[in-house]
Amino acid sequence: MASLKRWVLVGLTACSVLALAYLPPRGARSSGKSIFAVQSLQATPARRHAQVLADEWRNADAGVRLLEDRQRLKRDSLPASPTIVFRGPTLPPNVVRNVETVMDSVWRGLGLAETKVRVTLVIELQRPNGSAKSPTPLQDRVAYLAPDSAHRTTCMAYLPAGPYWTSFILGKLEARYEGFAVARFAQWLQASVGPCAFYAAYGTPGRPVQSWLAARNWDVGLYLGSNGIAGGRFSSLTLLGDPRFRWFWDGVYSFPPATVACLAGRPSGCRAAVLAGTTEEWTIPIPNVVLVERRWWRAQHLLPGERYLGDIARTVGRDRFLSFWTSALPVDTALAAALKRPVGEWTADWQRGFVAPIRLGPAPPLGGVAIALAIAVFAIGIVTATASRRQIR
Amino acid sequence: MRIILVLLAVSGIPRALTGQRWERQVQERVQRTIAAVGTSPGLPVVRRSGMLNTDEAASFQTTLAQHTPYAIIAVCDDDCSRLQLTLLTSSGSEIAKERNSESLPTLHFTATTTAVYGIRVVMEACRWNPCWYAIAVVPLRKIPS
Repeated sequence: MASLKRWVLVGLTACSVLALAYLPPRGARSSGKSIFAVQSLQATPARRHAQVLADEWRNADAGVRLLEDRQRLKRDSLPASPTIVFRGPTLPPNVVRNVETVMDSVWRGLGLAETKVRVTLVIELQRPNGSAKSPTPLQDRVAYLAPDSAHRTTCMAYLPAGPYWTSFILGKLEARYEGFAVARFAQWLQASVGPCAFYAAYGTPGRPVQSWLAARNWDVGLYLGSNGIAGGRFSSLTLLGDPRFRWFWDGVYSFPPATVACLAGRPSGCRAAVLAGTTEEWTIPIPNVVLVERRWWRAQHLLPGERYLGDIARTVGRDRFLSFWTSALPVDTALAAALKRPVGEWTADWQRGFVAPIRLGPAPPLGGVAIALAIAVFAIGIVTATASRRQIR
Repeated sequence: MRIILVLLAVSGIPRALTGQRWERQVQERVQRTIAAVGTSPGLPVVRRSGMLNTDEAASFQTTLAQHTPYAIIAVCDDDCSRLQLTLLTSSGSEIAKERNSESLPTLHFTATTTAVYGIRVVMEACRWNPCWYAIAVVPLRKIPS
């Protein structure tokens, strides 16, 4: 009988091991590839080296362009609103005034007036093909030059307008798109101010917060507005799609484990996701250029991280947020003090406001379970039958 | 006559008062403080101003005349709550330090010999970085012995 129990135990353990190895996580399908096989989806070393060099060049180029623009600025125009500089085709004065008017409303909408750190927005208009003397490498990435880089109290945002917004600014957009574009233009400007809006609203952060944000490329401070980054309730979570579809789960599992755990409503996961980047002291480079990823929503540690700090600021109020922002204490201590709650708990509650916690763990399909159970019962039956017929002489 | 007075008043606005709100704030504050302590005629008041983030420091050197009592005062904007002021020898040794007066530290010093001295200011607490500060080295009237 003891032998039979051992066989049953061995059978069940083997089934469990097989299930753990082969069953896909909840909502996702198996990739069809064995986890035991060595896979390599990386580019060749030469290509990786070329990509690293290209990235370094783009970063340096973005920094140089922003520094050049800072040098060109003689004096900021109005103390209570950002300065706007256009690069590319020369614009008629009325077009410049129109954009400045929209920016003024955006600024007031963010609750900003005269600020200690001033913002300069460099809008790079798309040049007609073949008209540029030099390559324009940053046509799809926003870059920021933090204060203390070229000027103590100026934060510069480099904003490539692309063909759509260039046409809109120049008044060359097709009439059928005009109405939609007018409504979206202010939203686009608001989203584009990015970290500079935080510098303007709350000044230069203390060293721990600055180091934390630099380590995670400002993914939690990309947007100060109270609406979604693209209007309404649109956020990086919206881009994941519907949980009923496979791409939602592919997207979820492309994030770090702590981010996924936070999506499942686990405070420990949320805490780890928020505090990513606090473990080591990050050296702030000079000039400090923040280059936002092309697909920034895929490089987040928290969803929807772009509005995390903005939501905290609105929740706790200006005084408490400033005490966190300029604190010399470690980020977790300063943030918990401002929130008056543990960081993980507050963040888990905050995230529930955007998405219902996802369910994690293995999710075997019904058919698969039935077949596996049938095989297990069959195997146990054979073992039992064999054991019961054994004769001891 | 009224128009002329207005024009005179406008043309007489110091350059510092055209800057940011916080810059104007400290310039006005240091001006009031200088007026309050009183200056010795004939000797210039040395003034410096700038902005600092929390825990940042700035320093400069100035010559202090022998047997002249000086008041070294520092002021900062409304967002600053603690400013430290230190008087140093030219070699960097501390002579006096004031850190208890929060946003208005003041040092009184009479040099025994005319020499170059260093003055250092540390922004110990600023709730909205950067904070503006201004320093004035004010020669006081000598007390008759």
